[in-house]
Amino acid sequence: MGYEILEKVIELTDSSEALEKRFDSLAKSISQSLSFDQCAIYLFDEERKIFSLSAADGDRNDLVHTYHDGEGLPWSAIKKNRPIIANISDVNDGRWRGIKDNGLLGFATAAVYPIKDDTGNYGMLYLKSRKKKIVPLRKRKLLSVISLQIGMAIKTNECILNLTSVNTKMRDMQARLIHAEKLLALGEMAATLAHEIKNPLMSIGGFAKRLSQQFTKDAPERMYADMIVKESKRVEKLLHGILNFSTNKGFDLKDENISSLIDDTLALFEDEFKRINIKIVKELKGNITAVKADAEQLRLVFTNLFTNAMQAMENGGILTVKTDCVEKWITAEVTDTGGGIEPSIIGNIFNPFFTTKAEGTGLGLAIAHTIVANHKGMIEVMNDIGKGVTFLVKLPALVQ
Amino acid sequence: MMKKQIMKEKILVVDDEEGIRLLYKEELEEEGLDVHIAASGEEALKKLEKDKYSLIVLDIKMPGIDGIEVLRRIKEKWKSLPVILCTAYHHYKQDFGTWASDAYVVKSSDLKELKDTIKGILGSR
Ligand SMILES: Nc1ncnc2c1ncn2[C@@H]1O[C@H](COP(=O)(O)OP(=O)(O)OP(=O)(O)O)[C@@H](O)[C@H]1O
Ligand SMILES: [Mg+2]
Ligand SMILES: [Mg+2]
Repeated sequence: MGYEILEKVIELTDSSEALEKRFDSLAKSISQSLSFDQCAIYLFDEERKIFSLSAADGDRNDLVHTYHDGEGLPWSAIKKNRPIIANISDVNDGRWRGIKDNGLLGFATAAVYPIKDDTGNYGMLYLKSRKKKIVPLRKRKLLSVISLQIGMAIKTNECILNLTSVNTKMRDMQARLIHAEKLLALGEMAATLAHEIKNPLMSIGGFAKRLSQQFTKDAPERMYADMIVKESKRVEKLLHGILNFSTNKGFDLKDENISSLIDDTLALFEDEFKRINIKIVKELKGNITAVKADAEQLRLVFTNLFTNAMQAMENGGILTVKTDCVEKWITAEVTDTGGGIEPSIIGNIFNPFFTTKAEGTGLGLAIAHTIVANHKGMIEVMNDIGKGVTFLVKLPALVQ
Repeated sequence: MMKKQIMKEKILVVDDEEGIRLLYKEELEEEGLDVHIAASGEEALKKLEKDKYSLIVLDIKMPGIDGIEVLRRIKEKWKSLPVILCTAYHHYKQDFGTWASDAYVVKSSDLKELKDTIKGILGSR
């Protein structure tokens, strides 16, 4: 009698079902095979120093859901570092040998077994019987084995969870690598293509302009030619963006002060910002560690971020630009009040050619991302839906 | 004295693309320049042996002797002859622009930058 429960416990470590679910059926089997009225499993929260109810067989109303630090039989079992078998009368006031435990109300016998190993506590096995009963040595031994097994199951589960999280992290990293590789391949292909397209495009645009000048201002021919000029300018802009992908050419690294670089870039926007009522708030650290950077390229990063912010705040707003030095990173934050980004598209904004704008090329952020990555930095987006967006650029600070 | 002032500045445009040669020629002639053209590096060097020019507008990417090589040879023989390098590639700027050519212009259907650069160089002599 009772030994089939061991099989159940051993199965614990050998199932893909969620641990909590397995505990529920285990609690049932334990109380049945050891003939207790109630069996509960508590899990220990190391940080908050509490035992909280995880699974139970029997009426949950009779159960204490959390045992805080020092409370009840579970904590005295911890203090004594051994199981407790308590025999009380079935009409008790929730007390055993001076220890207050409301879980005892209406029960005559209780057995509390710590679930632990030499590295720490995992939880508590708590059994109760309404009638007074003797727990023979054989059953006690069985309970010790059971609690040991539960401990192992919890530990195994933790390992699996860790593994899964490591696995997810690795997959995430792989996805990023693939993304970076895609950008690189695209960059190379696009650079070749762009080069071939640029020359004929230049003739088209250039001659269309000459053609336009042959007609009077209100002639339809002039409008047609101007349309060709306008559209070929647009393609030129696109090509310019694409060519910025092959950034490994002519990468000119110098020690740069990010605050003054941003200040210079911002100055070019001042008139435009004023015109559409955008207030600039600058919190630029003057005395900031330098970064190794290609100034021209880095300026392009901020130009693209400022342009996006401006386009998001067509009816005015506030642009906040901050720089700081956090540990080994130089950070630059660009925050706008343009309403933020639709959550459904936020995963795409760094993809080349992704745009929600009629005249956009969708290369602004892709270029910014590529340039920052080439500087061994990171670019992150924090979206405050309905309010605005913050783009955070992190670059490695120069060690002094 | 008088004569020299009316005389147009003679420049040489080197590009392997016919459309671009024609566009440069027409646009730059309108700016009052005497524009000659060459379709390759070889042709450009031949013309330079025969005639005197005030300035060269030179494409980088050309079959045969490319613009960089032409630039090198020009600077060997005619040290003071100003050369403006033109290309679709923005990135040559850091590679070659600084050391030998007098200016660097990214190709665009909008010739304003090129015209301004030419005026700047010719005006400063
Ligand atoms: N500050 C911002 N606020 C709201 N949406 C933004 C912001 N910045 C980027 N986005 C969204 O991300 C998309 C991609 O931006 P990206 O700069 O790459 O391209 P674009 O601005 O559309 O085109 P281009 O930069 O060529 O003009 C935008 O179309 C827009 O939907
Ligand atoms: Mg943009
Ligand atoms: Mg060419």
